[in-house]
Amino acid sequence: MPSTGVAPMTRRHILHLDFDAFFASVEEILDPSLKGKPIIVGAPPERRGVVASASYSARAFGVRSAMPTAQALRLCPQAIILPPRHKIYGEYSARMMAILSEYTPLVEPLSLDEAFLDVTGCKARWGSPEELAHQLQERLAAELGLTASIGLASNKLVAKIASGLEKPRGFVVVPHGREAEFLAPLPAEKLWGVGEVTAGSLHEMGISTIGQLAELPAAQLEARFGRRGRDLHRQARGIDDSPVVVEREEKSLSRETTFAQDVGDPQVLRKKLLVLSESVARQLRRRGLRGRTVKLKLRYSDFKTLTRQVTMGTPTDLEQVIFDQAARLLDKAWDRATQVRLIGVGVTKFDTEESQLSLFEGAGDGRIEKLRRLSQSVDRIRQKYGDEAIRRG
Amino acid sequence: MKLTCLQENLAKGISIVGRAVSTRAVLPVLSNILLATEEGRLKLAATDLSTSITCWIGAKVEEDGEITIPARLLSDFVSTLPSAQIQMELVTRTKSLHLKCAQFEADIHGIDAQDFPLIPSDVDDHKIGIPPSVLRQMIEQVTLAAAPADEGRLVLTGTLAEFRESELTMVAADGFRLSLRKAQLEEAVPEPLYVIIPARALRELARVSVEEEEPVEIIVTPNRNQVLFRLSNIEIISQLIEGKFPDYNQIIPTSYGTRVLINTHDLMRAVRIAVLFSRDVANIVRLEIIPGPDEEAGRLIVESAAEVGQNVGELEATVEGEQMEIAFNGRYMIDMLNVIGTEQVILEATNPSRPGILKPVGDDNLVYVIMPMHIKK
Repeated sequence: MPSTGVAPMTRRHILHLDFDAFFASVEEILDPSLKGKPIIVGAPPERRGVVASASYSARAFGVRSAMPTAQALRLCPQAIILPPRHKIYGEYSARMMAILSEYTPLVEPLSLDEAFLDVTGCKARWGSPEELAHQLQERLAAELGLTASIGLASNKLVAKIASGLEKPRGFVVVPHGREAEFLAPLPAEKLWGVGEVTAGSLHEMGISTIGQLAELPAAQLEARFGRRGRDLHRQARGIDDSPVVVEREEKSLSRETTFAQDVGDPQVLRKKLLVLSESVARQLRRRGLRGRTVKLKLRYSDFKTLTRQVTMGTPTDLEQVIFDQAARLLDKAWDRATQVRLIGVGVTKFDTEESQLSLFEGAGDGRIEKLRRLSQSVDRIRQKYGDEAIRRG
Repeated sequence: MKLTCLQENLAKGISIVGRAVSTRAVLPVLSNILLATEEGRLKLAATDLSTSITCWIGAKVEEDGEITIPARLLSDFVSTLPSAQIQMELVTRTKSLHLKCAQFEADIHGIDAQDFPLIPSDVDDHKIGIPPSVLRQMIEQVTLAAAPADEGRLVLTGTLAEFRESELTMVAADGFRLSLRKAQLEEAVPEPLYVIIPARALRELARVSVEEEEPVEIIVTPNRNQVLFRLSNIEIISQLIEGKFPDYNQIIPTSYGTRVLINTHDLMRAVRIAVLFSRDVANIVRLEIIPGPDEEAGRLIVESAAEVGQNVGELEATVEGEQMEIAFNGRYMIDMLNVIGTEQVILEATNPSRPGILKPVGDDNLVYVIMPMHIKK
């Protein structure tokens, strides 16, 4: 499971950090002669490119991200067009994330050049959130040569809007309890999920600022926009409970074995497959996960490796189901002539939140229910008496 | 065996029976197509022991005989030949078939026809007649809900066919969705008949009956273990699936709390877009049904979200009943909308964890039941 920031019950300090004109600024570092000149990073107009990033002196001419390069050049004919070098930007991004993680483990990268930090518990070591933010800006400038804008607020929504307000080198603090007041004069489009279409509908309703939106009754928004309407109502009042999410969730779980001697005996392979399936299933149950896709991995004596997978209608955490699928894949994939060096089983496509409900409500799946009860009993015995206490006959 | 036939006819015949050839044959002869002369025609047949397809083509037979020839080579060879007459002669001594067409000649080694499994053809029990176009549409609309052949319970890989009086009801269900379609028979059956036919055999039947104009004859063998579909020049025989099909009447909801009437094409587009985003999360698509100030002014919001991003589509719809949020597997919806065949569809739901219904407007013979997906609030 992902580890997340402090529960929203307590007062949080969330920081959103965003580099200013990231690609263009990196180009300036790499070639100092470009400093202060209008730089556009993006594909050239003859290749129908668009602006990926523009330096502030180019922005002064009205050049914006995502604008066709040709249009940008009409606005700013003296601009220097540079092709993007994503590998280098990636390196700078990794260095930034490394610096951020020195301050708190609760860093959620949003893209190459922006991240959320939950700095709620950092005061003892790094000073107040404001002091910490200043330190970050200084360190990034000193060590990477890049300037960043920071928004500091009680939640991600407000922090992100705040960081964008006074670019470049911006630092906007929204005190606790003043979120709605801060948002009120801003246009409704600043909110997450308010795109052109929704903004159009809002304008029809006579709404242009977040403040006006906040005054609409929740029921009216819900009647117009459904579930999104409820979210809009909360957002407009500066409410956002979403945590800073650090790790990506686990995407797959697998076990594999390399044989001491290459194996050509199907029975030996099936036996090993069963042991591996059991181990995967046990890990799944321990973590409360069920997967929809079973993967088989085979490596032959000549090191040729192949993987085969099958996706099932219902997610599972049962060894019998995993083994059946894996054994079927083995039958299909393995030619029986080649010796096998390694065999592995994995389960992916976890269903932690959404799951397909069954039409027959388990009526037809008595076997699965029995297997599940059996596995749970075995897990309990193993937990109490150790792994060796009970085994397949 | 010695005969002459047209390349077009032979190629077409081979493509009709070729789909029954075993892909992973247990016996070498099952990879072959049987060629045999029969009453002045050439009979082609193939079987994988579960489904058999036989087809007769016109030929000028000079000498009777029979042989089996590897399907793959014969099919590729014949379909590559120019459109001309093909002369065929069995060389009994070498068990090979000599073929001659325009400037090409070949010998293909075969296996004795004696080794080919017997395909019963003179099954003669009560014949049930149904127009081929109706049967094809039924198959298309129903078999999509059958479970994949290598997954799940065997009965669910089949399609239930219920013949009662002068009505045929076909039902398929894979545990998450169900489709049911009714059609009128040419005449009433003497007694009700229930069989479970493998979906694969029905799909083959739909494929080979495209040019058929005469009613298709359906005959169930007296011991109830095989079904024969007889077309003018083609026969398909399939093993029936033994077992008890779930009681579909218990599954199909009889009431609803919310009912949406919407343009099929609009809904299809919205769900297709939503599925683009939810491919990695089991194709989950959220529907939000919002009643309007009057029924015609309702809205249906179709949305999905995953790691790649999210999307929202807002459709105008006629909404009757309560506001509701419900999620479905979008692929299931697309499968159904693809073959529903009317300009407008009805979506009915009782609550987010009870089955929903999708059905055409103005056609009471077709119903889809679709189980929602559970959504975390």
